[in-house]
Amino acid sequence: MSTPYLELRGLGKSYDGRTRALDNVSLTAAKGEFITFLGPSGSGKTTTLMLVAGFESASEGDILIEGRSIGRVPPHKRGIGVVFQNYALFPHRTAAENVAFPLLMRKMPKAQAMAKAAEMLGLVGLERFGGRYPREMSGGQQQRVALARALVFDPALLLLDEPLGALDKNLREQMQIEIKAVQRRLGVTTIFVTHDQSEAMAMSDRIVVFDGGRIQQVGAPLDIYRYPSSSFVARFVGDSNILAARLTDPAGGQAEIAGIGTVRVPALPAARAGDAIELLLRPECLKPGSGLDNAARLTVDVIVHFGDSALVTGHAGGTPLRARLEGLAAQGISAGDTLPLSWATSSSHVIGRDAAG
Amino acid sequence: MRGLLLSLGAVVLAFIAAPLLIVVPMSFSSAASLEFPPPGWTTAYYGAFFGDARWTQPTINSILIALAVAVLTMAMVTPATFALVRHRFAGKSTINLLLMLPLAVPHIVIAIGYYAYLSDLRLLQTFPGVILAHTALSVPMAFLVLSASLKGFDRSLERAAMSLGASPAATFRHVTLPVLWPGFAAAALFAFIQSFDETVVALFVSGRDSMTLPRKMFDSIRTTADPVIAVVSTLLFFTVAALVILPMLWRSFSRSRS
Repeated sequence: MSTPYLELRGLGKSYDGRTRALDNVSLTAAKGEFITFLGPSGSGKTTTLMLVAGFESASEGDILIEGRSIGRVPPHKRGIGVVFQNYALFPHRTAAENVAFPLLMRKMPKAQAMAKAAEMLGLVGLERFGGRYPREMSGGQQQRVALARALVFDPALLLLDEPLGALDKNLREQMQIEIKAVQRRLGVTTIFVTHDQSEAMAMSDRIVVFDGGRIQQVGAPLDIYRYPSSSFVARFVGDSNILAARLTDPAGGQAEIAGIGTVRVPALPAARAGDAIELLLRPECLKPGSGLDNAARLTVDVIVHFGDSALVTGHAGGTPLRARLEGLAAQGISAGDTLPLSWATSSSHVIGRDAAG
Repeated sequence: MRGLLLSLGAVVLAFIAAPLLIVVPMSFSSAASLEFPPPGWTTAYYGAFFGDARWTQPTINSILIALAVAVLTMAMVTPATFALVRHRFAGKSTINLLLMLPLAVPHIVIAIGYYAYLSDLRLLQTFPGVILAHTALSVPMAFLVLSASLKGFDRSLERAAMSLGASPAATFRHVTLPVLWPGFAAAALFAFIQSFDETVVALFVSGRDSMTLPRKMFDSIRTTADPVIAVVSTLLFFTVAALVILPMLWRSFSRSRS
């Protein structure tokens, strides 16, 4: 196998010598890839980013770019662009001067640096804002300046540390698209840190899910959504029903769920009859009616309408269940109703076992 | 109720502002001694102040001493503040306490201490002696001002600068210093003013050749008590007020302009 563009090799970090903030984090990334570190706070995603940027040093392991170790290189010689959560624009410099800063630090003549900065500001849609100070700009504009500043010197890597956290919802969605577009256009390998799973789903080529200082799962967004490797990942990425079941026929794909009865599950030839499993059923995979492979009767406790969809919460027998129905199909349903639902076996997933499709 | 509040406000104003401002008309008084209201008006005592080396020399002394105190204070407080705000080490709280001690100890106690201490070092009534004693008094204020602005400093600015290719020295020069500049200026200004109007310690440790302006005023009011004192007070009042107010005006002006 050829040398990966970026490689994290067994990274570990301990601040006090006893507790581990990060444990054996290994990952490779291809040139131009957009990778998202997703996890709750304290999961190690930001610590990993700090190690890659060089603001903290790893207790164990190494970081390589194109096969060369940068583990001992100080941050100002790594050539890695970073966008911070609070943007970290220099308040005493204009937008253009902020963007020119990395070029001036690289001894580019001032006129040339300012010209390149103006060009970069144009790329993020701020060609007329070069003379403004950060305090005179909106959050979204500051965000774009920070992005331009981190990209203007052709960094080996772009790191984004929860950059959209401070923006309101509409602006955040717009910035997701813009960041993605600029990233693709420049082809820069990017690591994006967030705790927002929908942001991760929307932007990434691959998602790395962190928890407890370790990588829990790495994969394409839809693969992680459909085939989570643990109930933590299943709960953290998307809405979920996780049903406790007992295999009755592993090879034939049959299991028993309390309150629902016998259901079909993806075949697990390696498992044994009687094994306890966790079956993941995404709420939107439950359809009204009984036309699909498996059926359940849901007693509705609460229904919340969102217009385009409705979330029905209730139980089937003793098993709590959530279903997301299309808005029109959910019209007329109210608490206390009993609803026939069904799902396709292929839309369910046995957590922690190799997916059979 | 409203009337009561207004008259209360007027009384407070009268007791706080009036003593400050009463020296201004008295400095233009034609009387031979300090009295209020003045019987007549003249600017003669301004001429007496500026033409008399017994007044101008202490003024120059005070300015030189305060400048030296500001420089020495900042040279010591700057590294101390960065160490205490940004790092953890053994004995940190003790050092913090020691730094703040001059604020808690009565000035007269400090004055007597320095009197004995400086006379042993043969620095009594010398410039270095006054400068050392005043610096000790200025350190806590400068430290408080600087540490407040350093605590509010966003370190991701420094991290950003480093990630953009600035060495640690370049980061300090291009980012830390310019952003913290108002804090440094305010700390130095406080040190300057603290020394410039300090009287108690100066009474004990300054002497004939190193006499400061407040000490000269104290000596003068015991002997002649002529309106020159009101002249000096007026000049001092407006100088210090200008030192404090002008930076504020300048900042709000430069903000509104940009």
